[in-house]
Amino acid sequence: MVRVKSRYLLCEINVSDRRDLLKLDDRAVSGTVKAAVARTHGDYGAALCSIRFCVKYLNAHTGIVFLRFPKGCYKLLWSALPFITSIECCGRIIPCFFNCLHVGGTIRTCQKFLIRYNTRQLHRMLPKCKNEEEKRQIQKAILSCSLTGGGDEALEDELESEEEDGE
Amino acid sequence: MRVSSLQKMRAGAEEAESSGYQRVVLKNASPHHYLRVRLVLEDESTRVSAVDLKTFITSCLRSLFGEVGAALNVDVLKYDEETLTALLRVPSRGLVKLWSSLTLQGFYQNQACAFRVLQVSPFLLALTGNSRDLQLD
Repeated sequence: MVRVKSRYLLCEINVSDRRDLLKLDDRAVSGTVKAAVARTHGDYGAALCSIRFCVKYLNAHTGIVFLRFPKGCYKLLWSALPFITSIECCGRIIPCFFNCLHVGGTIRTCQKFLIRYNTRQLHRMLPKCKNEEEKRQIQKAILSCSLTGGGDEALEDELESEEEDGE
Repeated sequence: MRVSSLQKMRAGAEEAESSGYQRVVLKNASPHHYLRVRLVLEDESTRVSAVDLKTFITSCLRSLFGEVGAALNVDVLKYDEETLTALLRVPSRGLVKLWSSLTLQGFYQNQACAFRVLQVSPFLLALTGNSRDLQLD
């Protein structure tokens, strides 16, 4: 009945060079988001960001990141994300932009969306396959996508650390 | 039932007309709010021009509310350099942001400063009179 509610933003980090993506880590992303919010919304935004903000999940291979914001001010903090132009990580500046795919009330709803989104992306990649081997690999990946068992092992491990029932 | 209540309303209106008193309530009528503020500095003899004041107010907004706050349309309508008193205009939805950022600003070029807000009103005409400065003789 009385519960602390958050909003989880499912964002995709687009970089021009795919190898740079592997160098990202969650502290660099969280520092970048905090700096962008402080620039766009000043001390007020920085204070809102410090309450319950964190990077819940980061997949360096696909560039998917889950950001958690408090429910009362997530729109304000969301509006600062388009102003991010680069991420600074281990001494290098990686130019990128954030693309928000989904807003969910819990990690589980975001995970369900992510699985559907990934299957759609794989379906889109299928006609572009250059040879039979790739086609077979993609078809196997699509068939093994599901919420329980199979699917993305790493995704499940990370997300089971916080259980929140659907909203 | 309805007819009788209508008659009562009309009767009531006639009564109001005859007594010569009419009450008009305006909600959110004014798009702007006007503030009279005075800048009080540690060193009394500092000169602050109107342009300096405008940049100072914008920097106050920027430090508390960021770029979005600094983009607020604050206008300095009148400025008196002797007393450092200014008349500001701001859209009504930005009044709280402006007032809070003026309140929380403590330094002007390395000297302590304070903004005293003397009058606030949604109507400019209301700022002409001030019962605090009224001389009663």
